[in-house]
Amino acid sequence: MKREGSETVLALEGIHKRFGDRPVLRGIDLTVKAGEVVVLIGASGSGKTSLLRCINLLNIPDQGRITIAGEPIFDVEEGGRDRLKLPPRQVNRIRAKTGMVFQQFNLFPHMTALGNVIEGPVIVQGIDRAAAEKRGCELLDQMGLADHRHKHPAQLSGGQQQRVAIARALAMNPAVMLFDEPTSALDPELVGEVLKAMLALARSGMTMVVVTHELGFAFEIADRVVFLDEGIVVADGAPKDVLLKPEHPRLKAFVGRFHETADMLRPFLEAAQR
Amino acid sequence: MSFDFSVITQNAPLLWQGFLITVYYTVITIVAGMIIGLVVGLIQLTPYRLLAWLGRVYVEFFRNIPLLVILLWTYYALPIFMGLNITKGWAGFVALSCYVGAFYAEILRAGVQSIEPGQTDAATAIGMSYSQRMRRIILPQAFRRMVPPLAGQSIIQMKNTTLLSIITVPDLLYQASYISSFTYRPMEIYTAIGIIYVVVLTPLTLLARRLEKRGGLSL
Repeated sequence: MKREGSETVLALEGIHKRFGDRPVLRGIDLTVKAGEVVVLIGASGSGKTSLLRCINLLNIPDQGRITIAGEPIFDVEEGGRDRLKLPPRQVNRIRAKTGMVFQQFNLFPHMTALGNVIEGPVIVQGIDRAAAEKRGCELLDQMGLADHRHKHPAQLSGGQQQRVAIARALAMNPAVMLFDEPTSALDPELVGEVLKAMLALARSGMTMVVVTHELGFAFEIADRVVFLDEGIVVADGAPKDVLLKPEHPRLKAFVGRFHETADMLRPFLEAAQR
Repeated sequence: MSFDFSVITQNAPLLWQGFLITVYYTVITIVAGMIIGLVVGLIQLTPYRLLAWLGRVYVEFFRNIPLLVILLWTYYALPIFMGLNITKGWAGFVALSCYVGAFYAEILRAGVQSIEPGQTDAATAIGMSYSQRMRRIILPQAFRRMVPPLAGQSIIQMKNTTLLSIITVPDLLYQASYISSFTYRPMEIYTAIGIIYVVVLTPLTLLARRLEKRGGLSL
């Protein structure tokens, strides 16, 4: 999956963020290359979702530098001086180079599946409606939703809604896709279809940053796994190193809890194999 | 004492004139109030603190002063302080519009704030500007939720136009008091007025209920 020597799509340097008195990110550096799939893991409250939301400035960091596809979108030094002073139009334009998929799907309930997918291209990019619809249909087909184009979100299952949300993000032709716990709000039997769609996307060469609790999936999909603890990157490396040979005590404990859960499932799996 | 409703039929033309005035002021103040409400409501939602604060002041001012006081003040005090001569029609229009506008603004603000923050996140993430977000994503959803309270406030507005009679705008209530002044039949006349309001407003209430149900289903 990894492409050697490819260009940097996303660069974060020294990202700090606090909510009130509580520091959630304390100097994060993260670089993502084209075609790379980076999975962020960590206990709840470790800052992984905040970090993801900082990438497209849904959360504004207090300081640090962010560059998306070669264009700086955020550069604030310690003390709060903004070195870029980008007008909102420019921020919106660069932000649209990232596609985001949310835990709660956040589809627009007053539009059909297709309406959701073409909203960005038509309204933001000013693409001709017919062309946007053609591409939108292709993306929905790709997500296995060909029969659901004209349904409203309320008529779709959680798994289907999340796949519409992925298509909506892809419609903007983003340089990088950001996934914020995309399966956490799903019924267990619907998780698989969303993970499958994400895996296919990763295999097609899409650059992705994924926040997830599904460590098995992380192992499968990731080129790199990044472990966050109390707002700091504690481990960053290949999945087999980070997940199978954890060194840092906090990471060990975190992965250990995952193994415990897996152990609890073992009798069930063994019974199924018998 | 027996009711004699012949005073109603005899003075039907006067009542009809009053009715038209009532409908006229109801409609124009609702329209103007909606425009005020939209502007003040959106102002309250802007990230600019001073603007938001001004919107807040407007709302609290007009919401917390009795309409009768606003009306009398606009008609009698405004000309003295501002040195401009304002007709009773304009005074009534301005006072009623500003008053209902404050309530509409609150309905709008509450409607917009009831939309899940995830909708703003999703719209922002695909690169939408503030105005695109409002126009395409937030307001269309908020308007559906606002239908019932808007209908309720508008029904109250029609009844509030009766206060116009205080500054001698010849609305339905003014005509009623005028007719009773020479027929000495206030009971019959005010009963008739009440019936007219019920007959006009009940179908509107039912219509609002239907809209509410439709809005609820489509979300």
